[in-house]
Amino acid sequence: MATMEIRSASKNYGTIRVLDDINLEIGDGEFIVLVGPSGCGKSTLLRMIAGLEEITGGEIRIDDKVMNALPPKARDIAMVFQSYALYPHMSVADNMSYSLRLRKTDKPTIAEKVRDASSKLGLDALLERKPKALSGGQRQRVAMGRAIVRQPKAFLFDEPLSNLDARLREQMRAEIRKLHRELGATSIYVTHDQVEAMTLADRIVAMHGGHIQQVGTPLELYDRPANLFVAGFIGSPGMNFLKGDIADRCLHLCDGRTIALPAEMPATMGEATLGIRPEHVVLSPAGETGLEATVELVEPTGHGIILHLTLAGSVFKVLTHDRRWLEPGASVSVSFPTDALHLFNAEGVRV
Amino acid sequence: MTATPIPATYRRPLRQRLAVTLEPWLYCAPVLILITAVMLVPLVLGISYAFRDIQLLNPFSGGFVGLEHFKALGQDDAFLRALRNTLWWTGASVFFQLAFGLILALLLNVPFTGRGLAQALVFLPWAVPTFLAGLNWAWLFNPVIGPIPHWLTALGLMDEPSNILADPSIAMWGPILAATWWGIPFFAITLLAALQSIPKDLYEAASIDGASPIQRFFSITLPYLAPVIAITVLLRTVWVANFADLIIVMTNGGPADRTQTVASYIFTQAFKRLDFGYASAVALVLLALLLAYSMVILVFRQKLSNRDK
Repeated sequence: MATMEIRSASKNYGTIRVLDDINLEIGDGEFIVLVGPSGCGKSTLLRMIAGLEEITGGEIRIDDKVMNALPPKARDIAMVFQSYALYPHMSVADNMSYSLRLRKTDKPTIAEKVRDASSKLGLDALLERKPKALSGGQRQRVAMGRAIVRQPKAFLFDEPLSNLDARLREQMRAEIRKLHRELGATSIYVTHDQVEAMTLADRIVAMHGGHIQQVGTPLELYDRPANLFVAGFIGSPGMNFLKGDIADRCLHLCDGRTIALPAEMPATMGEATLGIRPEHVVLSPAGETGLEATVELVEPTGHGIILHLTLAGSVFKVLTHDRRWLEPGASVSVSFPTDALHLFNAEGVRV
Repeated sequence: MTATPIPATYRRPLRQRLAVTLEPWLYCAPVLILITAVMLVPLVLGISYAFRDIQLLNPFSGGFVGLEHFKALGQDDAFLRALRNTLWWTGASVFFQLAFGLILALLLNVPFTGRGLAQALVFLPWAVPTFLAGLNWAWLFNPVIGPIPHWLTALGLMDEPSNILADPSIAMWGPILAATWWGIPFFAITLLAALQSIPKDLYEAASIDGASPIQRFFSITLPYLAPVIAITVLLRTVWVANFADLIIVMTNGGPADRTQTVASYIFTQAFKRLDFGYASAVALVLLALLLAYSMVILVFRQKLSNRDK
């Protein structure tokens, strides 16, 4: 259990700056998810917190103690790796008790803690097995067991689910959430999967290009994305963007058509991008109110249909639960509820 | 199935039956002939020498003598000493090769500038012909032309510059040192390859778990290397035990047979005394010992890897 504070942390590899001016405060028991595309620096940040990477500038504090110069073992954190990093020649029980044995904990305590963790994770029957005799999901559980037997100040997860298949990932996601509720330990979780981020996080830290783009609860990021990057990254299928110029309370698209804007948005501001999520678009038969668009592709997903439309020369996606089948080539009208519109200025910042 | 059964009374002509029986053997013939000619015949001939009296200088020799050679071997003090020397020579050479090879591999596994060049240089001794390596080391130990005795004297380890190879009590260290120098690269190459296959995040996980570098070495590096070490030590032991070149070149088994190993004893018997029969008998004993040793190691290794499952 711990609070954590990252103050203007940065990281350089040679002359290349991969993380710049990272500031973040993490409350006791909070579940933080670092999310972003590969190469955004999220794993590097996690490894800096763990002590596996040096911190070029700034400070990382755990419980108000500066961690910069401390080795990993002095930080009292546990980490779950993407590859699980289980010790291949040790049994499951030995894997889980390794850190306790290194600390010279007495045997009855070790046995008790291993039993506790294994019953929490459903590993009781597997304690004597070697990692190579386990399935991916079981290995994942052992990796988590190894982290929780220590009762560390904080848990760090480095894309722990990306080697599992989709079904198992869903299941493990729920288990991690449940485990966090039980243990209440401060956790930092790195993923590139925005669904994982949305479902697990108390707060999401969206990262891109070595910078934090936005910090907030999952719904804050979904409802009020701070910029174009967050808007496009959170949500699936991703948000639609329409570029144009704003004048007379309307967005003028490149093909000359206009979209009326709600009163709270600026009446004139020049170049801008309007965003709307595929699930918020209202679909109506061609010729009715709204903009006319052509159906390019129909993707049924079972619980809905994703339509790929061509609108103003670019792809525009609509998620509909209306099962009436639309053939590619058909024309439809799309209109946008005013409260579902997001407006971004020429720099991509939310207005 | 609708194939008509062949009536019991029907028999194909003899030639056809012969051809059918021979067919698979004909296909195998090239390889069988090759193996027989290249491997079996020399082996059987060599083994047969051990039971015959073959001396190049005695034109009346060549007769079958049964187990005479082996009986003589049992009473041959020189052979028994060679056997003890072989144990010492093989054990020490393999141990030092492994120890220094492992240290070298660990050093080369750490990134530093110029590592590529260092790796290439370290593997150089492997490329030196053993004959040359033996001569080179013999000269290095020679106080007249080599620096080593003078260095040892200067360090106070030796009273006056003298030839190690001429001192019966320490002569064996000469060939052992040369063999170590020559064999380190073999261990370094194989162990370095094994080291580089160890996933890095295991070390990271262990360091987060609180393991010091030494604990990481014993709980990750060593278990990972164990199978490779087992197999390389097995190979090397057989190899070094059979390896007479360095000893022949450097000491010729002397002084006073103190560096005579079984392998060099075979060479001496065969090519100095020209007693091929006796040399073959010694070789057969060495073969049997090494086979037994290999079996033990293989069984041991099998047990180890079974335990892992």
